[in-house]
Amino acid sequence: MLKTDLIKSDCPILKREAKNHPLVYLDNAATSQKPRQVIEAIADYYANHNANVHRGLHTLSEEATEMYEDARRVVAGFIGATDLSEVIFTTGTTESLNRVAFTWALFNLQEGDSILLTDIEHHSNLIPWQIVAKQTGAKLEYIEIGSDDTGNIILEKFKDKLSSLSGKVKLVCFSQASNVLGTILPVKEISKAAHAVGALVCIDGAQAVPHIPVNVQSLDCDFYAFSGHKMLGPTGIGVLWARKNLLESMEPFIYGGGMIDVVTLNDSTWAVLPEKLEAGTPHIAGAIGLSRAVKYLRNLDMKNIREHEVIMNTYALNKLSTIEGLKILGPADAQERTGLIAFSVDGIHSHDLAAVLDTVGVAVRSGHHCCMPLHKKLNISSSTRASFYIYNNTDDIDRLVEGIQKAIKILGKNKLKNLEY
Amino acid sequence: MDDTLYREELMEVYKNTSNRGRLTDPSIEIMQKNPMCGDEIVLQLKLSDTNPRVIEDAKFDGVACAVSVISSSYLLDALKGKSIEEAKNMTKEQLLEMLNLNLTTSRVKCATLVLDALKNAIDQYEQR
Ligand SMILES: Cc1ncc(COP(=O)(O)O)c(C=O)c1O
Repeated sequence: MLKTDLIKSDCPILKREAKNHPLVYLDNAATSQKPRQVIEAIADYYANHNANVHRGLHTLSEEATEMYEDARRVVAGFIGATDLSEVIFTTGTTESLNRVAFTWALFNLQEGDSILLTDIEHHSNLIPWQIVAKQTGAKLEYIEIGSDDTGNIILEKFKDKLSSLSGKVKLVCFSQASNVLGTILPVKEISKAAHAVGALVCIDGAQAVPHIPVNVQSLDCDFYAFSGHKMLGPTGIGVLWARKNLLESMEPFIYGGGMIDVVTLNDSTWAVLPEKLEAGTPHIAGAIGLSRAVKYLRNLDMKNIREHEVIMNTYALNKLSTIEGLKILGPADAQERTGLIAFSVDGIHSHDLAAVLDTVGVAVRSGHHCCMPLHKKLNISSSTRASFYIYNNTDDIDRLVEGIQKAIKILGKNKLKNLEY
Repeated sequence: MDDTLYREELMEVYKNTSNRGRLTDPSIEIMQKNPMCGDEIVLQLKLSDTNPRVIEDAKFDGVACAVSVISSSYLLDALKGKSIEEAKNMTKEQLLEMLNLNLTTSRVKCATLVLDALKNAIDQYEQR
């Protein structure tokens, strides 16, 4: 069991009010709040150690370099990476996925090849592949994932598709956990099926790493992307993990200082990994903050965090399902999803629902959550999403439910209807 | 946003506005989307045969939040009887003033969805 009260008291922002009510923060899938330990680690770096890394021989530069490289060690350990040079710091999931698209896929795919995605991907794991497909002539193929599909059903769909596309699929990309349905996909099993037909596997781990134990070795994927800010860390820092032979074969995404071996006026050669792929002054404070966030999560133990989220899910699914007209998206089983629940309420627009919830201090997300195709498929224009993290407790869910009831009372039913076109 | 948006008289507009629905014989019809939230509305205008042409009737429909519905309803009330030229000159500021709601940045976009629809509708009409 997590001591949510203690964790809450570690996060300064959770002491504040919103609209004269104690803040109930349920928008963690968008970004998490930060414990003071993380904020202090960043402040400590700037106050006491700030210098550029890998460039100076003076005391501060040595300290900063040591702290930055230690952050890489901590992050690598957290995701089970065995080789430090396989952990590339980026600005976040979006950049990490773009790197795979534009420094691996663009050079390795051609007409006749296919990229296999699902139809519930975040725009960050969709648009880069659309561009790669346009530029290489490769084709995009999709697994259709139903709102209540769970792991085994999804695995079968992948297997069927991979065999029907016999040998054409060169890359399989999907999010380990959906940011709308919450569905957890069986990465290890899908990787096995993909590798069996010679395809590589790229995972969007933005909604997985903060919530469930992740080990890139045992998942057996080839590329793995995630963001620091959804897991207690600062914004602007994220990770691309990939197998070393792949990273070695990849061209840099950006060029400049810090990534070279020898430079002449006409040509240059690249440093070894990871520097080769980290041109420019990196987000040193970000890496240090992320490392402190990882330590915080590690102290709690990811197994306990997962357990807490299943308890929260069970409670929330139960409570929400008693509200008339409320439709929950995603699997019914709390074990099959991460700590987020998106829903729609008959006749109430998600914006209005979120706005009324805001009047009682409850922060949720409304909209299409960067998943337009998924919402279109579900025939709703938008949904409301409550997402939990380590500091949330069941009282927060009670406040959410009261807020939804208030919204229903005020807004009643309206004749929202999707347009035919 | 504060509670004033969800006060009773506005909720009455939201739930029962007679400007929502479809015209049987529109002269102009346009669909407008808000990519931020996925909302979409249809705006229909019925023009007179006179010179200058006057907006005789107007309706909107679709998936929209309270801000967008209330704003559409107010704008349509204001449009009826106006000439195309006058309608074209309606500004965002005028609309927001008419609404007199304390809107945050993201919800100003909800309020102006119908105005964007109006501008595009008139453009489309004039290019015919
Ligand atoms: C599933 C998924 N993929 C990708 C992203 C993009 O993450 P970021 O904005 O941190 O790059 C998000 C977060 O919004 C997400 O939920």
